[in-house]
Amino acid sequence: MKNQNKCQVSDQAPIREWVPSDVQIRQFAEASGNFNPIHLDDDYARQVGLGGMVAHGMLTMGQLEAMLRKWIGKESRISKLDVRFKQVVRPGDMITFGGSIRTHLGNVFVCDIEASNNKNEKVLSGMAYIMQK
Amino acid sequence: MIGKEFIGRESESVVLKIRLEEVRRFAEGVGIPFNGEVPVTYVGTLLQANIPGFDLSNPGMIHGEQKITYRRPLSVGDSLTYKRRIKDVYERTSKLGKIMLVVVETTGSDLAGELVFTSSSTLITPIQGETNEKSE
Repeated sequence: MKNQNKCQVSDQAPIREWVPSDVQIRQFAEASGNFNPIHLDDDYARQVGLGGMVAHGMLTMGQLEAMLRKWIGKESRISKLDVRFKQVVRPGDMITFGGSIRTHLGNVFVCDIEASNNKNEKVLSGMAYIMQK
Repeated sequence: MIGKEFIGRESESVVLKIRLEEVRRFAEGVGIPFNGEVPVTYVGTLLQANIPGFDLSNPGMIHGEQKITYRRPLSVGDSLTYKRRIKDVYERTSKLGKIMLVVVETTGSDLAGELVFTSSSTLITPIQGETNEKSE
């Protein structure tokens, strides 16, 4: 999607694969200031009914942004990013992100986005507006 | 336990300067190649504006939805004010049993008062005693 003039509706984003690790989740807690123990303490996360540590939703959303940024290049920017977290993401899960263009309105491309885990469960779905600079 | 009486409760405005080192550390923590642009998900780090009586780490609370909209891009060096506000609180029955949903909206404006971004988080908490027991 580097040159939007040549872009077709239904163009696909390059697939991004991501496996979160305990280390990356800890780094993200420090970089974002979100030290909620459900992300850092496995015993605590079990006690509150989550079945173990989970990655920050914002870290998963950040992977989506990384995929979009690679797709759209420097000539466009993300003006809107809406997601629903459908399933928790845990350290060691293999998450696959994808996206495609649904339509365009003037200089804005509306994209559908989603991510699934290695059990074929959808972990995230949503939409992005990509605006030409 | 949070309830409908929290709707409308808001934080003080917090002044924020977008700093290169903090943005870089965030981008590297996520894995977004850093090219000087502020990641759109950076606004998820704006948690310092405390809403009285509301704690993000309520036991078992998870993130259900996130919606981020920019009127214009944020740049390193920008000065902003932001505040957080509880926009809605409601109950729903899901596959997990009864749940409480809390919508927290963060808005950021430039020093002229122009809106720059809106970021809305829906947080989900199981209602105590109402969730299905999980077998370990």
